[in-house]
Amino acid sequence: MAENYFNSLSLREQLEQLGKCRFMHLSEFTDGVNALKGKKMVVIGCGAQGLNQGLNLRDSGLDVSYALRQAAIDEKRQSWKNATENGFTVGTYEDLIPTADVVLNLTPDKQHTNVVNTVMPMMKEGACLSYSHGFNIVEEGTKIRDDLTVIMVAPKCPGTEVRAEYVRGFGVPTLIAVHDDNDPKGEGLAIAKAYAVGTGGHKAGVLMSSFIAEVKSDLMGEQTILCGMLQTGSLLCFDKMIEEGVDPGYASKLIQYGWETTTEALKYGGVTNMMDRLSNPAKIKAFELAEEMKDIMRPLYNKHQDDIMTGKFSATMMADWANDDKELLGWRADTAETPFEKTPAGDMDISEQEYFDNGILMVAMVKAGVELAFETMTAAGIIADSAYYESLHETPLIANTIARKKLFEMNSTISDTAEYGCYLYNHACVPLLQDFMKNIKSDVIGKGLQLNDTGVDNARLIEVNEAIRNHPVEEIGATLRGHMSDMKRIV
Amino acid sequence: MAITLKNLTVDFDNRFQCKKINWTLNRGEHWLITGSNGSGKSALAAILAGYGDIEYGVATNLPQRVGLVSFEAQAELIAAERRKDDADIMDVITEGTPVQEIIDAVTTDPDTANQLIEQLGLTPLLDRAFRKLSTGETRKVMLIRALSCKPQLLILDEPFEGLDAKSLDALQLHLAKVAEHIPVVMILNRLDQCPGYITHIAYMNQGELQQTINRSDTEAHDALLQLLHLKTTDLELPPADPDFALPVLEADQPLVKLTDTAVRYGDTTIFENLDWTINRGQHWQLTGPNGSGKTALLSLITGDHPQCYVNDIFVFGFKRGSGESIWQIKQFIGYVSTALQWEYTVGTSLRNVIISGFYDSIGLYSKYTDNQKQIAEQWLEVLGMSDRANDTFTSQSYGDQRLLLIARAMVKHPPLLILDEPCLGLDDMNRQRVLALIELICSRSESTVLYVNHHAEDKIQGIENHLAL
Repeated sequence: MAENYFNSLSLREQLEQLGKCRFMHLSEFTDGVNALKGKKMVVIGCGAQGLNQGLNLRDSGLDVSYALRQAAIDEKRQSWKNATENGFTVGTYEDLIPTADVVLNLTPDKQHTNVVNTVMPMMKEGACLSYSHGFNIVEEGTKIRDDLTVIMVAPKCPGTEVRAEYVRGFGVPTLIAVHDDNDPKGEGLAIAKAYAVGTGGHKAGVLMSSFIAEVKSDLMGEQTILCGMLQTGSLLCFDKMIEEGVDPGYASKLIQYGWETTTEALKYGGVTNMMDRLSNPAKIKAFELAEEMKDIMRPLYNKHQDDIMTGKFSATMMADWANDDKELLGWRADTAETPFEKTPAGDMDISEQEYFDNGILMVAMVKAGVELAFETMTAAGIIADSAYYESLHETPLIANTIARKKLFEMNSTISDTAEYGCYLYNHACVPLLQDFMKNIKSDVIGKGLQLNDTGVDNARLIEVNEAIRNHPVEEIGATLRGHMSDMKRIV
Repeated sequence: MAITLKNLTVDFDNRFQCKKINWTLNRGEHWLITGSNGSGKSALAAILAGYGDIEYGVATNLPQRVGLVSFEAQAELIAAERRKDDADIMDVITEGTPVQEIIDAVTTDPDTANQLIEQLGLTPLLDRAFRKLSTGETRKVMLIRALSCKPQLLILDEPFEGLDAKSLDALQLHLAKVAEHIPVVMILNRLDQCPGYITHIAYMNQGELQQTINRSDTEAHDALLQLLHLKTTDLELPPADPDFALPVLEADQPLVKLTDTAVRYGDTTIFENLDWTINRGQHWQLTGPNGSGKTALLSLITGDHPQCYVNDIFVFGFKRGSGESIWQIKQFIGYVSTALQWEYTVGTSLRNVIISGFYDSIGLYSKYTDNQKQIAEQWLEVLGMSDRANDTFTSQSYGDQRLLLIARAMVKHPPLLILDEPCLGLDDMNRQRVLALIELICSRSESTVLYVNHHAEDKIQGIENHLAL
């Protein structure tokens, strides 16, 4: 196996790469798709990302075809059906790769080494290889031929969303990067920008980042707050409610839809707005619970970030890949057997506000997770913009998947890499919060505070409000949400 | 006993026909008949008064004595007076029949007649010749005759037209009292004049009774108001945005040319060997059973079907798959379908929905101009929704959403307007409203219309070409 690329860099270079993340202005995309006009784009991987990005790029006037393995063509596999029914040219690697000006590698992470090793020798001199995740370059340290340009274009949504938003005339937020070691002609950025325009991403906002910043922040976010915290929170909150005698159907529903409802408030106005949806006594309670959990979980967040930075995480996961995903598949099966997962949501009505009032602990968990992930990432040299997107910004997106089909849906929508990290986190976090959970009662999860007097101490409320509002994730969030709403403007 | 018209077709001197009328007027009901000019409002009322030749169907329990006030009856009486005058061959200057005599000829209730004569200010005119009266004065005479003949049914066709304010008040008061024991059928162009005692509304269109609604059904009532707005107001379509001109198309090129096209899913062929040319100004109707591929065919044209890239398709100067973007195609097309309505779930305002038509987007993601905003507001006026400009689209009724999407499709005055089953899923009233708007568009714009539907009865005037799948 190749050497971890990040570890091969000097600290100075590492910090420089980690610090890259800039929200690009719409005026930087006036050249449209011109840099790719008339170029041959060949997609590898015809799953949700591959197919839908291809549909968008073609509808933007670009020349897109799909390279499949001979076996996939001969056996008319799903990927072959996806591509041909949509009227794309389909051919073998041997047929198409040598003609490609841009090869879009849209296969899952764990296939990257194999795919890249296969196609790299076939690619024509001076062509471009595009990724949607930097894992292969950064963690696996795959070295790409010097004459090839290497870029990353990563729409920050599932493939179906990428298509649906494009059809609406919009797009999804997209991260682009150029691998500095592979930009021989200096055209990487122009190609990446044109690609982002071709998928509609420029309308929703493009972040200019680096392979390293993308990988290190993406891994951290998905393992901790995004997937890990929501999985741990779901399991702990459900078991506690059952222990406290809450109706199982109600408990299941409160969690399944509670994450989505409470983080919707997060999307609009950050942690501040989410906390403001609680009554004053509940807000103070949630604040105190979050502070307590942050102290308990901080070492775990640090460990995740450290393991990601040193490459220990990726090495562990790659060992599991080599072992036929034994751990991953085992953990996936375990999750399916948890009481939360197995208890269907009841058919009672829960009002939007009730999700907050009866889900104080869930709100506290989101707050603690978002802030801790953000703090840990920025402390490790990832800049605030990246840290914001990989923590607060994506939490509502993941919460939506739980609302659809609980943890099963979340874990099948996210990448295998995220899923693996999520289980790692969960296995450490559940025991870590065990003592904390002993003191939790149904007043903060399941039944609400049920106070006759909702009065609070002024000084304490001011103190709490200021602490919430002055957290650095709130500062950067306000700025970036400003950019986003400027782009989206009305919707 | 209820007056019943059952499947009734009535001819009026070969000039006009009321067709297939089914109508029941129960005791205690007071009806308003409304509709656009020439829709047959007066004819429908005249049937109740025994006019017209029944060609088909049955009318039962028609009243014996009807008090009728209408322009036609008024004109008839005036003409009769004139004939009397002409018939007088003696070389004597005749004054004609005095008003008092005209009234007495039909009155069976002199108390009511006298009371109304005084209230309507006719006392000084009683001795004057009827044919010397002004239009408003003759109308008052007609009203007095109708109200003082102990009628079993009152038919009042635009009774308030031409009356001075004082007389109007007196008449309104009197009618309100009369309505307590005599059924009233009133004809009005404008629903806002509708008196409080009216319980039901009948809507006529092209000689047919298309709607009967109970006035307490506020939703139906509002929809009817809007339909009348579209039907009876002289509406101009808002202009295109001059700052947003579409690329000019070559005049002699067809808008659309499909050659030997096919759509296939796996082993299933939806259609094949299809050639179709749509020239500018050539309106088309496309029909076919479910699953015949109507929508697939349309989406080959709009570019929404991925197989447009493997077919020989020429649209708006572009050969598909030659490096054009889908937005370059869509800019020439206004498109409305049920599917679009389902997809249009963005929580945005009515105004923004219409503006989004300039950008072919679902939701609005671009900075629009003041001009575009103004044009959108003009469209809302056409739809009669000006007061709702800032309401959210998703909170509107299904029919209103459809009207808004049609306005969205038309806002840029597209060379091609595609209406894919625009009436699908709409009730009768909303169907009428949508068709009224489409007819307005067809008559007032230069867009070539491509109209897809199942319902043979939803015809649009001016569409001559027909493709059946």
